Amino acid sequence: MRSFEYLAPSSLNELLEVMGDRAPNFKLLAGGTDLLVDLKHGPSGPKLVMDLGAVPELKGIEETPLGLRIGAMVTHSQIQQSALIAEHAPAMMAAAATIGAVQTRNMGTIGGNLVTCVPSLDSGPVLVALDAQVTVAGVHGRRVLAITEFFVGPRQTALAPDELLVDILIPTAMLGRATAFRKFGLRKGQALALVNAAASIAVDNDRIVEARIALGAVAPTVIRATDGERVITGRSTDDVGALREAAAVAVTETRPIDDFRASAAYRRELVAVGTYRVLEEALALATRS
Amino acid sequence: MHQVEMMVNGQVRRAEVPAETTLLSVLRETWGLTGSKLGCDVGDCGACTVLVDGLSVNACLLLAVQVDGQEVLTIEGMGGFDYLHPIQAAFERLSSIQCGFCAPGIVISAKALIDKNPHPTEQEIREALAGNLCRCTGYTKIIEGIAEACRAPAITDGISVTESGHV
Amino acid sequence: MSEKPTKEKTADLGDLLAEPRVGQLPAVTRGPIPVVQALTVGANQQTPAVGQRVTRLDIRTHVTGSTRYIDDLAFPGMLHVKILRSTQAHARILSIDTTAARAMPGVVATLTGDEIPENSFGSSYQDQPVLAVDRVRHQGDGLVAIAAETEQQASDALAAVKVTYEPLPALFDPLEAIRPDAPKIHRDNNVYASKVIIRGDVEKGFAESDQIFERRYRTQMIEHVPMEPFAAIALWEPDGQLHVYSSNGRITLGRADLARTLQMPMNRIRVTATFIGGNFGGKNEIRTEPILALLAKKTRQPVKATFNREDEFIASTTRHPIIMDYKTGVADDGHLIARSVRLVLDGGAYASWSETTVGKAAILAAGPYRIPNVHVEGHAVYTNKTVTGAMRGFGAPQVAFAYESQMDEIANTLGMDPLAIRLLNGFSEGSISHTGQVLQAVALEETLLTAAKRSGWMEEGT
Repeated sequence: MRSFEYLAPSSLNELLEVMGDRAPNFKLLAGGTDLLVDLKHGPSGPKLVMDLGAVPELKGIEETPLGLRIGAMVTHSQIQQSALIAEHAPAMMAAAATIGAVQTRNMGTIGGNLVTCVPSLDSGPVLVALDAQVTVAGVHGRRVLAITEFFVGPRQTALAPDELLVDILIPTAMLGRATAFRKFGLRKGQALALVNAAASIAVDNDRIVEARIALGAVAPTVIRATDGERVITGRSTDDVGALREAAAVAVTETRPIDDFRASAAYRRELVAVGTYRVLEEALALATRS
Repeated sequence: MHQVEMMVNGQVRRAEVPAETTLLSVLRETWGLTGSKLGCDVGDCGACTVLVDGLSVNACLLLAVQVDGQEVLTIEGMGGFDYLHPIQAAFERLSSIQCGFCAPGIVISAKALIDKNPHPTEQEIREALAGNLCRCTGYTKIIEGIAEACRAPAITDGISVTESGHV
Repeated sequence: MSEKPTKEKTADLGDLLAEPRVGQLPAVTRGPIPVVQALTVGANQQTPAVGQRVTRLDIRTHVTGSTRYIDDLAFPGMLHVKILRSTQAHARILSIDTTAARAMPGVVATLTGDEIPENSFGSSYQDQPVLAVDRVRHQGDGLVAIAAETEQQASDALAAVKVTYEPLPALFDPLEAIRPDAPKIHRDNNVYASKVIIRGDVEKGFAESDQIFERRYRTQMIEHVPMEPFAAIALWEPDGQLHVYSSNGRITLGRADLARTLQMPMNRIRVTATFIGGNFGGKNEIRTEPILALLAKKTRQPVKATFNREDEFIASTTRHPIIMDYKTGVADDGHLIARSVRLVLDGGAYASWSETTVGKAAILAAGPYRIPNVHVEGHAVYTNKTVTGAMRGFGAPQVAFAYESQMDEIANTLGMDPLAIRLLNGFSEGSISHTGQVLQAVALEETLLTAAKRSGWMEEGT
């Protein structure tokens, strides 16, 4: 690895100050599972690496008046083991379990995962299905964005060069919302998603009153399939055909690519199957409760 | 240069390293603990797996400075030639390992699993090893070995081998 | 026919050894080669060892992490070597300038191919340069080796080497490479190793067949991906002996190749092999050893090179992709009457173990089936791709994929059980192989039936 300066600020303010001074000539080190690979094998190294491991404001999972707050530095393993997540947003556990392997989940963080903003991002779809918001901070202040606004393009987020992701909020209204997640990879462990899908459903009086469908790896960013959502909104919970219809419509909202992992045609098939399955599972959860 | 100090296999180790030094390289090159291997250098193969504060991690993807002040367990802390950890003993009985290059990481990953879950199912063992690649064996005997180790009294009593090898 | 075959054979071997291809190898004299008796059926029966659980002798150091592989070794003052590789698939090298690289921090020495006494190696044909000098034939050919105090310094210095190329047309498809008008990668023919096996009259066999099945099968390139990347260390002992530590699985061949490339007597070379972290055929040749020997000599320090994963993928060998054209004539009752096979092996940029691979693929290409008329031809062809060489089975897995796929297709068309067509045609005791060998201890039928029962294809007890 090429040499660089290393700092480990112990507070968010200290971190933001340095970021303000040094932007854009630094890299932030969260779990390191992507950054270290870049530092070793990437074309050119940064002058400064700032370790976020000692910044307390980026840690922790807690209930707040606005909803469930998840610090950007929370690891995938911590999500898998969190009682609060299990209670309020268990689909996040299902998504976390599909990321990398044990070692990468022990190191990798949800914030780091979102910031990479790759289309196949495994933590993205559930957060979109749960209408999550993110807080970003810079030396000039804080902003709150919808998760869908945070994702701008492949490897491109709404972060300015002197901003960082502080935390993720699942709004109170979405806590406990029936949500399901599926990932299709070439194998189970350590696989990038060919397609991943999440859905959340709210039911009232045997009708689907709100549905969110989120799809990954089939467009430049994680997307919401809003046309598919409209198909099932208002339909009866007994209307099994509605889920198939919604899945078929969701396929038309994707723009999958051909690559060495899968063809676009195969990805479209997976979208149809995956969307149907997450809707079916979310509906089952919604009607059970 | 950065001063780092960590408890490695129960022993305090110190070093002065440039920031870009990985945990793996300080273990192997500074402290001579060559049991952890460099296989892929990108966190895929798991040959460098060690425990940091009880969690299994890829030592090739951690900077030594990140681990300052923490506890590290490497394969060298898992029993030696004359005293095997039950996982190692089971691997030996079943000839679970062939070329041996993946073994240190696999033993550490298996320990991380058993510490939390002394009676894993086969599926749980497979999931725990997803980050440890082996090109020789096809994993069958490794999985059987871990399952067998979990039936050993030392594990079922919740006792594991310490750094010195004594239970 | 000779009356004294044993003696004649000795004479043949003697002629071969009288003109050693290896530079300064001492002449070898040997007594007559003992006549090996054919094994009896009894001798081939399973020994009691089969099925027994044995403890591997080396496993205790493996499971305790105390086995020492090459990269676990270090010597005082040891330097680290990195190799600059071609960015071109096929190009003439116009110039290599190492001036700036030599001035980089930590750099102690550089080495280019023109400094290597005999800059070629290879197990069958010595067509591969240790470091390319005038031409690169695939992305992965080494050009310059740099010894520096740290690996990072050596890597950084690689970026300071200036290479200018004149691109040449590159071939990536072996079927294009065998066309007469294709650009030539070495000398005047891209086909560099062939094997032909003929038995009976295949055209007559097709004429007598009720049905003909034809299909092209292809397999892909496969990298061994040993867990341990290739590593070697070279140092010169005080008495002038070269000592090389290498994760090379064939140290005797490695020693001969070192003697040849360095043009020094083999008895001055010691190669130490320690444990190898996975070979699978990918560590059966020298890779960096002559480079390290020369850099150790230049710097008077021990030098080490450990491949990173990218080196392992592009600068080691891989399994041959094979394009396999199968034509099989069968009778309506399922008997195989004739089979012709053409194998085109993508040999990559250099021969490596292709000659062995084409041979083994051809010998096994018709499958373990009694077929009176067989014509197999296999050709290894140069392309501008990663070198293909030895890998578990030397071509056998590729042809097995093809002939077993075709057996299924034939069974399907004839409405036969896939197991039945194999039992009908399979080799049995005393069958004659396609190369004329009388086969003994043939357990094909027993194996098929056992597999069919254990897999649930057939019910137990039938």
